[in-house]
Amino acid sequence: MWHKISWRLLKQELRRGELTIMAAAIVLSVTAVLSLALFTERLQAGLTERSAEFLAADRVLSSRRDIPEEWLSRAQDEGLQTADRVVFNSMAFANDELALVDVKAVSEGYPLRGELRTAQQPFAADQVADDLPAGGEAWVAAALFQELNLSVGDTLEIGNSEFEVTRVLTYEPDVGFSVFTDSPNVLINYSELEATGLIQPGSRVRFNVLFAGENDDLMRYEEWLKPQLNDDTHNWRSIEDGDSPLARSLRRAERFMLLASLLGVVLAATAVAVAAQRYCQRNYDVVAIFKTLGGQRRQIQKIFILHLLLLTGFSIATGLLLGWLIQGQVVDLVARYFDVNLPAGSGRGYLLAAGTGLVSAVMFTLYPLLRLIEIPPLRVLNREMTGTDRWRWLHWVASGGTIYLLLWLYSQQWLLSTALFAGGALAAVVLLFVSRFFIRASRQAGMQAGSAWRLAMAGLQRRAQANSVQMLSFSTAIMLLLLVLALRHELLADWQEQLPDDAPNFFLVNVAQENVAPLKARFEQRDLEINEMYPIVPGRMTAVNDVAVVDEVSKEQAEGETAPAAEQREGFGRELSLTWRDTLPPNNTVVAGEWWGDDPQPQVSIESEVAERMRLGVGDELTFNIGGQVFTVPVTSVREVNWGSLQPNFYMIFNTATLADFPATYISSFNLPEDRKSELYELFKPFPQVSLIDLDAIMEQLREVIEQVSIAILFVLILVIVAGVLVLLAQVQASMEERQKELVILRTLGAPAKLLSRSVTYEFVVLGAISGLIATLAMELSLYILQTQVFELAATFHWRFWLIGPIAGAVIVGSMGRLACARLIRRNTAQLIRRLG
Amino acid sequence: MLIQTAQLRKDVETSEGILHILKPTDLKIEAGETVAIVGASGSGKSTLLSLLAGLDLASAGDVSIDNVNLGDLDEEQRAKIRADKVGFIFQSFLLIPSLTALENVMLPAELAGHKQAEAQARELLSKVGLGDRLTHYPNQLSGGEQQRVAIARAFVGTPKILFADEPTGNLDATTGHKVEDLLFQMNQDSGTTLVMVTHDSELAERCQRVLRMEAGKLTEVTRDVA
Repeated sequence: MWHKISWRLLKQELRRGELTIMAAAIVLSVTAVLSLALFTERLQAGLTERSAEFLAADRVLSSRRDIPEEWLSRAQDEGLQTADRVVFNSMAFANDELALVDVKAVSEGYPLRGELRTAQQPFAADQVADDLPAGGEAWVAAALFQELNLSVGDTLEIGNSEFEVTRVLTYEPDVGFSVFTDSPNVLINYSELEATGLIQPGSRVRFNVLFAGENDDLMRYEEWLKPQLNDDTHNWRSIEDGDSPLARSLRRAERFMLLASLLGVVLAATAVAVAAQRYCQRNYDVVAIFKTLGGQRRQIQKIFILHLLLLTGFSIATGLLLGWLIQGQVVDLVARYFDVNLPAGSGRGYLLAAGTGLVSAVMFTLYPLLRLIEIPPLRVLNREMTGTDRWRWLHWVASGGTIYLLLWLYSQQWLLSTALFAGGALAAVVLLFVSRFFIRASRQAGMQAGSAWRLAMAGLQRRAQANSVQMLSFSTAIMLLLLVLALRHELLADWQEQLPDDAPNFFLVNVAQENVAPLKARFEQRDLEINEMYPIVPGRMTAVNDVAVVDEVSKEQAEGETAPAAEQREGFGRELSLTWRDTLPPNNTVVAGEWWGDDPQPQVSIESEVAERMRLGVGDELTFNIGGQVFTVPVTSVREVNWGSLQPNFYMIFNTATLADFPATYISSFNLPEDRKSELYELFKPFPQVSLIDLDAIMEQLREVIEQVSIAILFVLILVIVAGVLVLLAQVQASMEERQKELVILRTLGAPAKLLSRSVTYEFVVLGAISGLIATLAMELSLYILQTQVFELAATFHWRFWLIGPIAGAVIVGSMGRLACARLIRRNTAQLIRRLG
Repeated sequence: MLIQTAQLRKDVETSEGILHILKPTDLKIEAGETVAIVGASGSGKSTLLSLLAGLDLASAGDVSIDNVNLGDLDEEQRAKIRADKVGFIFQSFLLIPSLTALENVMLPAELAGHKQAEAQARELLSKVGLGDRLTHYPNQLSGGEQQRVAIARAFVGTPKILFADEPTGNLDATTGHKVEDLLFQMNQDSGTTLVMVTHDSELAERCQRVLRMEAGKLTEVTRDVA
């Protein structure tokens, strides 16, 4: 019988809209979690696939020595595609000229992701190459054509082999972003590698195996392979591990989406919590009537638990359907707009979403439900009776535990969940105290104001305890909204800065000293801008503190048996591009020591990652060999470099006094609009020895990826906003119910509708404004921590939000209060009294 | 004896000391009697009613229904007694707003596990003149109609005792009289014992016995032997 009553209550209450807020809160939490989980999962998979082009594979295993055959056959067994890639430095000869080149020998199938493009002549139109250089052939980068005075059909000697140059290599997906540190590339077939005689024990070679396949297969293989890898000799990479601008963008976007989703989940859960409280309060009378009419405790328990479960089940089903539809729409939109294929999502999202709905509904209702069932029947005669309060501790434990559980369920990261939870709990306590203080202060201010204000402030003060809890949820909602908004803004601005419309799309290298001025003049003549010219002196670092560095790898080391001795550092193994300047370059920050300014003493500044890898620090003495001239300088500073900036960056920078006398060539970059590319040939005609590197393809890809991520972020933002608005709505609705009785009394006493409406509006405006202010403060603090600790961004102060926060809070909360109040005031007093019972 | 109290007392602790809401009271009510408890607001009438119905617990003394001492029972057992033997009518009707008139009337019968709840409820509703308003919600009914639904609900489980707390207190005079007539008529038809709290002396006069409550002390006013 009890299930019939339960079902009947649910059916009627749903029909009459009495469960709307509770159902909406659960529906929203499920919708939000599902669409976020599915969408981010699919988008991430899509983006990773897309950006895998930058690796030419999904995963790359690089090693100093040959990779065991067993590893490759295992990969093939797992259904993965593989290809070999070996990269090494060598001298290349042609036309009696000599140049240092990066030789890349690749096997059938390369590139596994992305495409190779080649042209018949330097700077001619290129096209996709679906084959590889045949035996005896080499495809050569345009820069080398200039350096070696090559033409297509010429012979290029590398090691013991001779190759016929058959095509110009215009685009390799895995060329990377470090255009200045690499020598021009020569692509040959893997089968030719041995004949060159360059691969000897001890030679400095990276063996790479490229892997591509389905994500599940990859993960399985990764699990099998990883325990067998040796950190000294092997390096297993995916696109996200790199230090390229793309990897950084992806990492940030991923963190942002995870964080925003978590905040969305917390908001949705808060809405459920607020609604659950109200759901139970609304049923106090019903339970009292049930008990009076002879309802047994157990019956009532069953009735309401089933009622709640039915409601939850209904809401979860609606939420799943809605979430599935929404993410489908967005995915469609993204796919149509960007021509990108987003793989189907897994079942995890559905489980996660349904779990979130169930867990929040059950856990947040636990205490209100216990209280509800404890309601004494005597309430039918004495409406003030609300039963026992002894379970209150359970409420805090259950709610806190639920939020923590949800954070963990979603992120699967203990540290992040704990940090967010602890931060949130601390903020909640502070907010509670601050809001009490503000309420007291505003009461005093209100005493001097007109009657509607006075009524509003008196109301605020009287409900101080309830209001400070309300303000907590208002502030939390507003803060999370501001936070997501500000973070999105920061991320977009950062990407924009990294890739402005006028970002350089060409780099030029090999500019002779005497050509610097004429080149600049020629650019000016054509109304084109050229960026700063950096002098380059090639040189080797030979010793640290008088101990020679190891540039050649010994046979034992090559076989991975020993690492270089502690006092013997491993060198770079190649020539470095050294530069000099007086001022600290943009995108560089000194993290140790001091920049020299105009100090004429010879000295060098080193990049921080190199410093770490080679165990170097301020005070170490480095010895360099430039064209046979050997000199030693102290390290006086260590710099952190933003490698994502697409600007020339250097491991070693000297002060002018140290290097200025060495012969140098110059490098620079410039932006050439698409419609002026035809001028390229004319522009550089007088400077035949200058090499150009075209970055357009890379930039275009980067831009597209970032644009997709931005859309995704916008979508997440909208969901978070909806969740936030729902929390506000649930809270206003709940507090309106508390105010109802008072409104009825005032109305009965003849208070004009205008006065009531105003006083309620003012009360909510003040609540909203204070919440907005507190929210902004909390947002600024959280943002500082997030920017510096999570997103690798510089900390900024958001003065605009100090205006937006309180104003938006006042306007949104105020108008919601006004609307809710208007509904009450529209009824006549008799109706109101009857509603109160 | 259907209802009996012995030295029944209710005290409440307040900041100004202990308040004796109900002074030691001895009362006997026979089956089929109609009893009115009259008195000013705050005199303790409703407290007595809540103790008699087992909605509240006494500070001292005993109250029994059908020779079962309510003080020996826990909340669950008292609820069972109410389900089996007691019906209620309140001043503020106390209908469940989200259930229709029919569903409200069925509720006590369903809680008591009666199989014929719906048929019984339909019959009672047509008896109180609301046979055509079965699917109406409380807020779609007038005050008098709501109280008629409440009366139908009170009789649905064929209770032995009916407790009524100011049953016409929220109604205008004309509607009030109609509801009174209905209540007494149905009470008579079913032979239920009626215990009614009211401050309306005219209504009280329609009962066989009138008890007066003054400052927590109960005194018998008249005894109608007719």
